[in-house]
Amino acid sequence: MQLQYFLILAAALFCIGIYGLITSRNAVRVLMSIELLLNAVNLNLMAFSNFLDSTLIKGQVFTVFVITVAAAEAAVGLAIVLAIYRNRDTVDMEQFNLLKW
Amino acid sequence: MAQFLLETVWLVPCYALIGGLLAVPWSPGIIRRTGPRPAGYVNLVMTFLALVHSVIALFASWNQPPIELFIPWLSTAGLNLTIAVEISAASVGAVVVITGLNFLAQIYAVGYMEMDWGWGRFFSLLGFFEAGLSALVLCNNLFFSYVILEILTLGTYLLVGLWFSQPLVVTGARDAFLTKRVGDLFLLMGVLALWPLAGTWDYTELAEWATTANVNPTVITLVGLALIAGPMGKCAQFPLHLWLDEAMEGPVPSTILRNSVVVASGAWVLIKLQPVLTLSPIVSSTIVAIGAVTAVGASLIAIAQTDIKRCQSYSVSAYMGLVFIAVGVREDEAALLLVLTHAVSAALLVMSTGGIVWNSITQDINQLGGLWSRRPISALAFIVGGLGLIGFPPLGSFWALMRLGDGLWDKQPWLVGVVIAVNGLTAFSLTREFGLIFGGKAKQMSERSPEVHWPMVLPMVILLGFVLHLPLVLQSLSLLPSWVDLNKDVALLLIWSTIFGCSISAVIHLGNWQKPIRFPWKGLRDFFAYDFYTAQIYRLTIVNGVAQIAKFADMLDRLVIDGIVNLVGLFSLLSGQGLKYSTSGQTQFYAFTVLLGVSVLGMWVAWPFWGVQFLELMF
Repeated sequence: MQLQYFLILAAALFCIGIYGLITSRNAVRVLMSIELLLNAVNLNLMAFSNFLDSTLIKGQVFTVFVITVAAAEAAVGLAIVLAIYRNRDTVDMEQFNLLKW
Repeated sequence: MAQFLLETVWLVPCYALIGGLLAVPWSPGIIRRTGPRPAGYVNLVMTFLALVHSVIALFASWNQPPIELFIPWLSTAGLNLTIAVEISAASVGAVVVITGLNFLAQIYAVGYMEMDWGWGRFFSLLGFFEAGLSALVLCNNLFFSYVILEILTLGTYLLVGLWFSQPLVVTGARDAFLTKRVGDLFLLMGVLALWPLAGTWDYTELAEWATTANVNPTVITLVGLALIAGPMGKCAQFPLHLWLDEAMEGPVPSTILRNSVVVASGAWVLIKLQPVLTLSPIVSSTIVAIGAVTAVGASLIAIAQTDIKRCQSYSVSAYMGLVFIAVGVREDEAALLLVLTHAVSAALLVMSTGGIVWNSITQDINQLGGLWSRRPISALAFIVGGLGLIGFPPLGSFWALMRLGDGLWDKQPWLVGVVIAVNGLTAFSLTREFGLIFGGKAKQMSERSPEVHWPMVLPMVILLGFVLHLPLVLQSLSLLPSWVDLNKDVALLLIWSTIFGCSISAVIHLGNWQKPIRFPWKGLRDFFAYDFYTAQIYRLTIVNGVAQIAKFADMLDRLVIDGIVNLVGLFSLLSGQGLKYSTSGQTQFYAFTVLLGVSVLGMWVAWPFWGVQFLELMF
């Protein structure tokens, strides 16, 4: 097993997340894409922790924190989506271009 | 006492200037209650003072060596500008002529300007002119001559433009200023180019320098041509002559001075510069050519005019042309003599006709006539002035023309022909004016034309007396040739040309011919009557050229220069307007740009390390 495969997998996952983040029209799906990004990062962290730092495993500690923060962030994100939905009756990202030039 | 007055003759311009300044408070805006007449009286007193002073100085200067005074003006590194004053019999004599004619013209103006409120302005300008002219003749330095000529150009502008509510006055004053200004500017080029050659602007030193000067002929030719351009404009020579015609829009008393003295200011500078000018044969022949063309052309034009003042202004151009010829062939004394005799005679002629205009209103000689019995004094003044101007033996100009013809006789005989022709044509023209104004039957405009009142008659009669006595004065100054030296051929030719001119004209204009006289070929008559269509020529060539260039430059400034600068502003404005759309309001778009930035930056950073491998991998 090699480190690169993990990193490529994580990068692929990250790119899929980016694609979802930029193209999704549904705000919830945007949040889901962000979760994908975070999970890609977590994969990276775990891989580095295992292959480069198997004694102190600081990467795993990082991962625990990222998961925690991601959960909180998703909760706040969903709260924001709900708040917007209450006002504008939609979760379409293309309806949210009010703060332009 | 006389010696003291001689040494302080430089005060004469100051008197005149003070007189001019004292006249200013009587402008209608300052002294509002008591009318403008004291302005004239104050000026007369100051002019009389100047006249008395200069006359006494003239007697003291007789047979004395010239005195030179130097008044430092400005001294900077490498340049000492010193006002040189030359007090010689010739310069003091010229001051006497100037102050004397001014005195007479101012008395005349007291009568002529009776119904006018602008005495303050008029007399202050007359005093200004008197000061400028007497300063010019006393000044012995080319640089300061130029300074004074320029000041006088401004003075001409203001004096011609006295009655500025008339549109023709405004255009006339404009042309007088610009035409003379162009000449003066060329003169400035010559003055400046003369400094590195001669190292002096003092006329005496210039003359000394010219005797031994060894300079590049092309350079001295160009400098000489520039130097004659100033007098050319001042003396109303072809092709800078239109201004004098249009300057006849000014009041008559100033016309007296302009015809007699002011145009002679250019001739004075030309005479003073003669040693420098004759260094180059091309310049000499140019002066002669300009003088000859002007003399003959202007005499012909004068015959075809219908305006009494314009008839005379062209004669002035013609006589100044003769002065040019005289300078061109190094006949300085003939030139000075001609300036003197022309000044008094021309002044007398203008005084006479000014009186006619004052009472008969019209200036059109075809509407005048039959004034001989009613206006004997004016008629006599006209006759004497006219005879004093042409070659009529006992009177002044005969001797000047004799001198000139005598000088030309051996050098360039064809120029004698020019002098004879100008004399004959002027005789014709003056007799024509006389015949149409004083002869024939009275017309509607001259039916009731009383003689003018004393302030206009008095100076006329005094000047008439002076013109009659001028030969005696010249004789006492031993300026007349003795009978032994007299060139009888020239004398006879002059007299015959006078007789021919006068008698042919008298037959035509006093005889029972159909008036106005019809020239068989109308085109030629119009050609002379509209003075060779000079106004149109100016408009087509110089004026049009400058106007087109000005329009083009204006367009260039507005469109190109302004446009480039405005384009910078417009560009930044448009780019701001355009670039704001990058703030699309889409959060996802922002995320995309962040990602793009990060990836571009990452690639840029990584390129030196992995770029080659990347390229190999790709291709």
